[in-house]
Amino acid sequence: MSKRIITPTPALAEYLPQQYKDLVENGPHGRGLGVRDLGSFKEIVEEHPHCAGCGVSLGVRLVAAALPAPEDTLIVGTPGCSFFALSQTAVNYSNTAFGNQNAVASGLKRMLQIRYPDRPKDVVVLVGDGGIADIGLDMTLHSWFRREKITTIMVDNEVYGNTGGQESGMSAEGKVLPMAPRGKNFPKIPVFDLAKSSGCVYGARVTVANPVRLGQVVEKAILVAREVGPTYVQIYTPCPTNMRFSPAETIDVARAAQKGTYAFEEFMSEEAEALIAKSRRE
Amino acid sequence: MYYAAKLTEEKCTGCKICIMSCPDPNVIAFVCASKKVKIDEGRCKGCGLCVSVCPKDALNVSQL
Repeated sequence: MSKRIITPTPALAEYLPQQYKDLVENGPHGRGLGVRDLGSFKEIVEEHPHCAGCGVSLGVRLVAAALPAPEDTLIVGTPGCSFFALSQTAVNYSNTAFGNQNAVASGLKRMLQIRYPDRPKDVVVLVGDGGIADIGLDMTLHSWFRREKITTIMVDNEVYGNTGGQESGMSAEGKVLPMAPRGKNFPKIPVFDLAKSSGCVYGARVTVANPVRLGQVVEKAILVAREVGPTYVQIYTPCPTNMRFSPAETIDVARAAQKGTYAFEEFMSEEAEALIAKSRRE
Repeated sequence: MYYAAKLTEEKCTGCKICIMSCPDPNVIAFVCASKKVKIDEGRCKGCGLCVSVCPKDALNVSQL
């Protein structure tokens, strides 16, 4: 969504809501803003119906702020908690049938390369753990095998949040949830390790407790996906509603996970490393 | 009964950690003139994440 497209004519501008005018005048389009600039510009995520203290909405908000070129980005989502906030972003957004997101994103990326051969368009898949690890695992892995140049970002809340708390493939082993009273009886699906062995050229595992690092890895992942190949970012976004902790403890829970199962990890191919070093010099 | 975060302006140093920890967009804004933050109490959901990360105890959640 380039700024030219969203800018209204003067005759129309007076009828538009203040929120929209703020986005045109003070939005992030074409200004190269990042997570550190939050609070001083109008964000592209609008008001959303997420619970108080929601880790997923914090993750989505930070990812949206970290996009290197929001005007040239297309976000692909799938049903789940992640899409409540995403359907209200002021970037191009495409929703898909549950689990189809990486297949749809592959097609959209190829189409955009033909339509805009001289302008990089970023296709970013931003979905929850159910979309990637359970129902969409085959489509996700195959898009990595085919070396599609898309970024896949998982906001992992370790539960099916909006349907009442069923266990997902990413729930921790033994975790008792509202709709899994006997506890989950197999370990977390190692999607991060799968990404490493399936052809991703860059991958990172972060939590919402470290927003600046989250912004850095999302930016790197998108820049690498433009030139080299598929990239993957996994963000831990705890769910206070279904994990039964106070909304004020989301960051503390994420911080505790950083010391255990969700320690920061990053991998990249040589080509990706050279590209990141080059973009840093510029 | 509605709860929202409130700021004690004297304690705020403008580090912006609260802004990066808030799940809702544009609720906490940074005021360049005073180098402090400002909270939109009408849109705050009162979760208290900003309170839990503030290093200077400048924020608290209370009834509107």
